[in-house]
Amino acid sequence: MYNSRRLALYHYWVAFAVFLPAVMLGVWQMLMRSPLPAPFDDSNHYYASVTLHGTAMAYVITTFFAMGFGYAVTATSLGRPVRGITAAWIGFAICLTGTLMAVAAVLSGKSSVLYTFYPPLLGSVWYYSGATLLIGGSMIWVVLMIVNMAAWKRDNPGKPVPLAMFAITATAVLWAWSASGVELEMVGIVLPRAFGLTTQIDAGLARTLFSVTLHSIVYFWLMPAYIAFYTLVPQAAGGRLYSDTMGRLTFIMFLLFATPVGLHHLFADPEIGVGFKFIQSFLTFLVALPTLLTVFSICASLEIAGRHRGGRGLLGWIPALPWNEPMILAVGLSLVMLGFGGAGGLINMSYDMNSMIHNTAWVPAHFHLIFGGAIVIMYFAIAYEMWPRITGKPLHSKRMARWQLWLWFVGMFVTTIPWHITGLMGQPRRVAIFDYSDPLLAPMAPLVVISVIGGLILLASAILLITVLVRSQVGEGMLQTPLRYALAVNPPVRVPKALNGFALWNAILLMFMVFEYGYPIGQFFVLKSSVPVYEVSQQSSTPGVR
Amino acid sequence: MTHDQGAFKVDYPWAKIGWISFAVIIVVSSLLGFVVLSRYQQNDASLDIWGAICRGLGITFDSGSTGSPQPALRTPTNVAWTQVTLDQVRAGDPERGAHVALNCIACHEGTTANPAHLIPALDGMDATSIFKQLADYRSGKRLWGVMDAIAKALSIQDSADVAAYFSTRTGQLQANLPERVPQGGRAFRQSDPAARLVFAGDPQRGIAPCSACHGPGGFRLGAPPLTGQYAAYIERQLGSFAQGIRHNDIYEQMRAIARQLTPDEMKALAEFYGKRNSTLVATE
Repeated sequence: MYNSRRLALYHYWVAFAVFLPAVMLGVWQMLMRSPLPAPFDDSNHYYASVTLHGTAMAYVITTFFAMGFGYAVTATSLGRPVRGITAAWIGFAICLTGTLMAVAAVLSGKSSVLYTFYPPLLGSVWYYSGATLLIGGSMIWVVLMIVNMAAWKRDNPGKPVPLAMFAITATAVLWAWSASGVELEMVGIVLPRAFGLTTQIDAGLARTLFSVTLHSIVYFWLMPAYIAFYTLVPQAAGGRLYSDTMGRLTFIMFLLFATPVGLHHLFADPEIGVGFKFIQSFLTFLVALPTLLTVFSICASLEIAGRHRGGRGLLGWIPALPWNEPMILAVGLSLVMLGFGGAGGLINMSYDMNSMIHNTAWVPAHFHLIFGGAIVIMYFAIAYEMWPRITGKPLHSKRMARWQLWLWFVGMFVTTIPWHITGLMGQPRRVAIFDYSDPLLAPMAPLVVISVIGGLILLASAILLITVLVRSQVGEGMLQTPLRYALAVNPPVRVPKALNGFALWNAILLMFMVFEYGYPIGQFFVLKSSVPVYEVSQQSSTPGVR
Repeated sequence: MTHDQGAFKVDYPWAKIGWISFAVIIVVSSLLGFVVLSRYQQNDASLDIWGAICRGLGITFDSGSTGSPQPALRTPTNVAWTQVTLDQVRAGDPERGAHVALNCIACHEGTTANPAHLIPALDGMDATSIFKQLADYRSGKRLWGVMDAIAKALSIQDSADVAAYFSTRTGQLQANLPERVPQGGRAFRQSDPAARLVFAGDPQRGIAPCSACHGPGGFRLGAPPLTGQYAAYIERQLGSFAQGIRHNDIYEQMRAIARQLTPDEMKALAEFYGKRNSTLVATE
């Protein structure tokens, strides 16, 4: 792991330290929405909690996890120390400072604007500055990933970049494109208003800019899981990767199709024309391609491993897989959740079907199943794989790890299936209080109670995760086996320039962005749609004007 | 040496594949989105190609000037809750307002000038509501004989002061305190039709619950709290909204709701808000 060991460890610890309280907030939010009595029963607390839960899960954990994973992958896949280690620590410090600023601002109750900001709501300037620093600080990581890959290519002319490094650099480039939207929104619109430099806020433009981030950030979260699919899973199964080229194409397609699709989050926004909504809906369907490609090549890789281990017949290779390995168990559970969550996603992204479930509990159900389920369960598996390499100590208990993964899987389904149903019944998301004595709402009550039980199962799983990680770190024993990435069936000897770098794909993506977002963003400079803000921090503090 | 890697050959012209795919995706999706969808989606007569493209871009007939006749623009009020307006309201001084209010209390508090209770009670009224109504009287957006003249005599600062004065007084009107579920619940099961309208509204007629903006439990900037207001005044205002005599509600929401109400419902609603006061006074 060379010099990346401590770096990766610190990043992971921040991620997992934030994870447990964020899960607790989530469970409490479900309790709040349910007919059961909840402690701290106050809708203001609910919105503060939703803001904190979202900020922690969507920005803090994922960014720190991806950065830590990136440093570890760079050192292990290139087989040499990470360059720019000082810059990496500076980036870590900036991100941590931003996190603390944002968390403090939300805890003060003055920034309950939810993690998607929702202008013209206006919260504390500390919250926006914190989020901007966290996301801006991670750009140092982006640059370091690109620098490390470029330096390796310079030192190894003509050789293919290892798939893991190629993929993590794709992740970094994708994150740079993705974050550009929210950073522009913050620096150009929200922060100037929060500092009092402007009097109004262009909510339509802010939402459109945020939509650039809103969908591609999901693929930024997802990429570490896919890197594990391609480079760690076949190795853990004792087989080989089906195709190295398919891996490269998958990550290139994610880079291309993840960003110019964000308008499918704005199907109900009146400023955007139907033509652009349709085009981005169309492009969103293309994002399914790399996912289907991945499901195919992971299943093929697992079949290679299963047959190698003695599996026979049409499906005999499945029981032959080493299911007691957390990584293999996680990939199986992850693919099931990916299937259900992905099917729900097809409805969200369809221009017409979206209107049935827009802003209902269906939407959080979808992204909890995809992100909180399919992706996060792979984060756990990555942690179980990486932890022993980082700490130099073996995993405390594979049995506990398997329990943890199963609990997470079951808990996530028990939580999200009722949400899907209540969403179809019309239950809105982001609402604190429901009067279940109302005959219209009464049928939802038992379903919401079931999802509270799911939340408690998830909490148990999260506690188990932290237990395993802590006990592994303080445990005895030494482990010296280095991290190995899966070899392809046909290891690449030489690859074309286009599949060994990102210049061509960045150029195409730039054209996509100009075409897909040029007019929708540009129109706001003519529309003059700025509106006054609604300051959440001043709601109850001014007598007379509440 | 061409090294075969699964289905893909190393020597494919990737740049050409990438750019051609890009062009195909853009052309196909644009044709579908801007021409086919925009042209045929609406149920009425289909648009020509140019109109369809404009519609796809988000430019519709009402966003530009067109030949078709447009209804005259009528602004219901000149008050918008911008930061400037809110700062004006906040600048109100209740002590100065007490002097300004000497002109008001003769009618708004005394029973001799207000025997039929057609003049609203102001004690405990929300400051933004008073400020907005005075501004509307001043600009002629709300018309009521004597009030127009009085409001014209008041400066913006005077309005803010007097608004602050009445909002700090306690008595008749009850401020809208946040309650989780107010007494009686919000359920459609309410036996009393007035309570049902107040707490649940009537979705089939597009009537929002009164309590969402006017309390108890709900509050919306500029909407007056009604709990404790004179029943006769409320009933007359509902009637005025329904007939369009009063038209200073932003987005016409009060006119739209009042038009849907029957005279009996108006009376019942007025009594509901009026009675809540009397029962409370009785228990105190």
